[in-house]
Amino acid sequence: MNLILRLALPWTVWLIGFSALYGLQGLTCSRHWPAGIEPRAALIGAAALYVLLQGGILWAQAARPAPSPFAQRVATSLSAAALAAALWTSLPVLGLTICD
Amino acid sequence: MMACGATLQLLAGCQGQLSTLHPAGPAAATIAEIWWIMLAGSVAILALVMGLLTAALLRRPDSPGEPERAGLWLWTLGLAFPLIVLAALTVYGLKIGERLLPREGPDVVTVTAEARQWAWSFGYADAPDLATEDILHIPAGRPVDVRITSLDVVHSFWVPRLAGKLDALPGHVNILRIEAPVPGTYAGQSAEFSGPGYLGHVFTVQAHDPAAWDQFLAEGAP
Amino acid sequence: MTTRPRGTALRLHRELKRIWSPDPRFRGWLTTNNNNDVGRLFLAVATLFFLIGGVLAMLIRAQLATPGSAFMGPEAYNQVFTMHGTVMMFLFAIPFFEALAVLLLPGMLGTRDLAFPRLGAFGLWVYIFGGSAVIVAMLMGLSPDGGWFMYPPLSSAAFSPGIGADVWLLGITSIEVSAIATAVEIVVTVLRYRAAGMSLSRMPIFAWYILVVAVMILTAFPPMILGSLLLETERAFGLPFFQVENGGDPLLWQHLFWLFGHPEVYIIFLPAAGMIATILPVMARTTLLGYGWVVASAVSLGVLSFGLWVHHMFTTGIPHLGLAFFSAASTLVAVPTSVMIFSWIGTLWKGRVRMELPMLWLLGFFATFVIGGLTGVMIAVVPFNWQVHDTHFVVAHLHYVLIGGYVFPMIAAIYYFQPLITGRFRFFRLGGIAFWLVVPAFHVTFLAVHLAGLLGQRRRIWTYDEGQGWELLNFIASVASFVMAIGFALVVLDIAINTLAGLRGRRNPWQATTLEWAAPIPSPTYGFASIPIIGSRYPLRDDPKLDLRIARGEGYLADTSRDRRETLIVSTAKGEPLQVAVLPMNSPLPILLALCTSASFLAPLIKAYWLSVVALIGVVILALIWAWTTAPRRTEGLVDAGHGRHLPVAAEGADPPGWWGSLFLLVADGVHFGALLFGYAFLWTVAPNWPPPAYLRPDLLPVALALAGAAALAAGPRLAAWREGHGPLLLSLLGCLALAAAAASIPLARPTPTAHAYDATLWLLAGHVGLHVTLSLIMLTYLGLRRLAGHPLRLGEARTFGLWADYTAGTGLVALAAAWLPGAFA
Repeated sequence: MNLILRLALPWTVWLIGFSALYGLQGLTCSRHWPAGIEPRAALIGAAALYVLLQGGILWAQAARPAPSPFAQRVATSLSAAALAAALWTSLPVLGLTICD
Repeated sequence: MMACGATLQLLAGCQGQLSTLHPAGPAAATIAEIWWIMLAGSVAILALVMGLLTAALLRRPDSPGEPERAGLWLWTLGLAFPLIVLAALTVYGLKIGERLLPREGPDVVTVTAEARQWAWSFGYADAPDLATEDILHIPAGRPVDVRITSLDVVHSFWVPRLAGKLDALPGHVNILRIEAPVPGTYAGQSAEFSGPGYLGHVFTVQAHDPAAWDQFLAEGAP
Repeated sequence: MTTRPRGTALRLHRELKRIWSPDPRFRGWLTTNNNNDVGRLFLAVATLFFLIGGVLAMLIRAQLATPGSAFMGPEAYNQVFTMHGTVMMFLFAIPFFEALAVLLLPGMLGTRDLAFPRLGAFGLWVYIFGGSAVIVAMLMGLSPDGGWFMYPPLSSAAFSPGIGADVWLLGITSIEVSAIATAVEIVVTVLRYRAAGMSLSRMPIFAWYILVVAVMILTAFPPMILGSLLLETERAFGLPFFQVENGGDPLLWQHLFWLFGHPEVYIIFLPAAGMIATILPVMARTTLLGYGWVVASAVSLGVLSFGLWVHHMFTTGIPHLGLAFFSAASTLVAVPTSVMIFSWIGTLWKGRVRMELPMLWLLGFFATFVIGGLTGVMIAVVPFNWQVHDTHFVVAHLHYVLIGGYVFPMIAAIYYFQPLITGRFRFFRLGGIAFWLVVPAFHVTFLAVHLAGLLGQRRRIWTYDEGQGWELLNFIASVASFVMAIGFALVVLDIAINTLAGLRGRRNPWQATTLEWAAPIPSPTYGFASIPIIGSRYPLRDDPKLDLRIARGEGYLADTSRDRRETLIVSTAKGEPLQVAVLPMNSPLPILLALCTSASFLAPLIKAYWLSVVALIGVVILALIWAWTTAPRRTEGLVDAGHGRHLPVAAEGADPPGWWGSLFLLVADGVHFGALLFGYAFLWTVAPNWPPPAYLRPDLLPVALALAGAAALAAGPRLAAWREGHGPLLLSLLGCLALAAAAASIPLARPTPTAHAYDATLWLLAGHVGLHVTLSLIMLTYLGLRRLAGHPLRLGEARTFGLWADYTAGTGLVALAAAWLPGAFA
């Protein structure tokens, strides 16, 4: 079960981060967003945190031994894939129109 | 409506009043261009994959001990190839998407489109008392922002030869940029299923030259 | 291992056959819970729904063949296309692969049955009752007619006053309940019920795919169930979740629907991909290239598919950055797909392909699905999507993906597994002709439909005028679609004839390498005479005599003297034998429970809410009997599992199967609750008529009750795990009551849920707490009755109840905090 959790972790974090970033974008365009905070700065900050977190997961997975070489390989490659996906899906925050 | 030969029709969809392949406005033209580029790329990728598949089927490996070439199949073809193609396509698509957004400008005209089952009412920011039913009047050669909303169910504003579609949602106003470079009529249709009258939920866009536009704003529809 | 006499295998077969056989005659079909029977029934019924959906498709193409057709009017046409989509997605595609999984998974994994056979039978019957109700409604002309994604306000009471939309919401929800039941069963089976020595890296590739799919069902269906709950309560009781003027927002439905709807596409594709990865290496006389890559791709694809839902909403006016996230995720999803495709082509490359019928259909898959994938990438490009969204281009794309990516591989799977399922081999050769009718005709049909879409033909229009250049395209599409339909009919006929009159044959006709082919043909009810012991990913290749050794009882659990249905539970990662699972005998409980469940879902259709309540009481009583009769009567300690291993019976462990099942059921429940919170946050952020006139202000007493109740509920089961006596159960009971009182304060303070979507949401939050407190109370009643009957509380029972109690306490606090926080800060 621990192994299953390890395999599930990287992409689950990707999904949560992805949804949170989308939610933050919605929030920056909503009536609740405080006037003092620059939306793009907040989005870039959140995206950077998210990518860092994925990177941390990759590091931890690569460093910790798994029950078998197969499990180690799959866990590490899933973490690398999730990190790449986090980068890929976060890049639009750098330049695109936020609220139109 | 002009008749055109079946072959030609299959090739380019010429003359369709609702055809996305027969664009009139800049947005529709850009999107048609994306389509032709993506079609060419897709045909090339399809040919590559089918070619590899055929080669794999015809091959009879000599000895079972041959290397599997996992690097080629998985790293190069499986991973690197789509990543490069898709990165290029995603950036290209998003750049064009940015360009098609409604931006402020000196000569932008604003109109409103209000959908209901099964009719469209149009209003004009430059002539607040003016309203038209099922015909939207716009000036030719100027960017037009259509402020779209709905009074009942979800509809969608779509003039295929001018631009993509945008939904009409109750309680929300969505803004779509359209532009017709030359005067004339362009067919529009609602593009979100809305019940039994959906088929007939269509409208027309009438683009005027500057003089006719001024006259329309002053006197209403002729 | 000592060699046993030759007669051992036959004796063992006779003994096991007696223990595992269904009840005699017709009654046997109603009371069976064996995966072979349930799977076959499932498969037959799903095929029937495929035929119904196909007839509806033909009606659509007949109508669109010529412009201005008088064949159907819009009222009939709208029902027909709505039902075509609904039947194919919910009544055919999902149940069909579930059926194959139920049938084949135990064999692949080297176990005798699925983890929860009765739950599997329950899922089957709920599906049959719910699906039949939807079809009966259609025959009465009472179908839904708002399209299979049911967008409100069109599907709201104001614009769809009949019961059509209710048929959809209630019928489909009951089928989703069935799918969740099957998914729980599949997850626990793959994780725990395997051959000895089958570590994760030795699992057959299909098991990986179906594990991913089952987890996806558990996480994708709950948002849809929530959406249906919101829409049905709006339609029936006026809770205004989607009414703008009262604080609702129709876009909320679209989010919830596609949060389910996009993963759904991959829930349908991945089992087919699992079949391809299973069959294709055998057809190429080799092993799968890059097993680990394919596993990682399947997991990646499964999760990525949850990040795509907004690409169905690119034209709803969401800001461009929001669209960009989903456009990027949508193109990215092509990467794991590409890894799979090239792994398969590479497999063919390194093998020597034999062009049998299953292989032919797999080639049909490649030729079709690759095109569907390419058009899928096209519509992930936002500007292009703005043009083709809701046109026939999208219709063509989705048929390329679903027919090419699902139906063709599934036909390959049926032909491939036919010897195992029916015991017969192909003799009549209609199948080849059928293939050459279906695949070319499919391409003619849907290439034409693509082009019609580009020429501006909207989806869901019931007819069209001449002069747009659509006439010829539609005519070609319709003619070809009829050829395709004849081809599909031939496939069904071919399989039916060969099932009845094909040749008998030997085991493992394809020289496959996985365990399901170790069984005799057709596979007996007990599956394996003894639980195999394996040492590789390809046991039949690396251990040629394995099938004989299994039949002679040289694996685990070959001893039939305990006279009950047993199978092995292994550790998740390494596949080491851990426990002996005792599986239930034949019983009418699943069908009775399904009857009550379906009645409680369907009774509101005729506004018979009293019947719903009666049926729900029936559900509770039957569930109690179910739990009571499956619980063991006495404590056995360790039992002999063979090979000198003495293992505990599963029910006596700290993590009995019920604990595992509860865990994954709670995952689904948690996603449902998360979707509710998402809906609340969504309305709070973007719904036009917010904030509501006044937020609810929390009082001290309910807050204190909630905190104390949650603490007591969490503590009770923990105490019970190490302390005898009534105390822990009483503490849990007090916790339930306190939490219920706290939740009840909300509807008391805001008595009109119809006033504003905020009030309606508060009621649902309180309802969530109320429902789970009720569930906890039912479990407490059960545990209390067991104590009174003299059965001591088992550790496993306490821990299983503990899961539910923790969940009730935890989500209860979150729900109440969500209800109170805006008011506390306002």
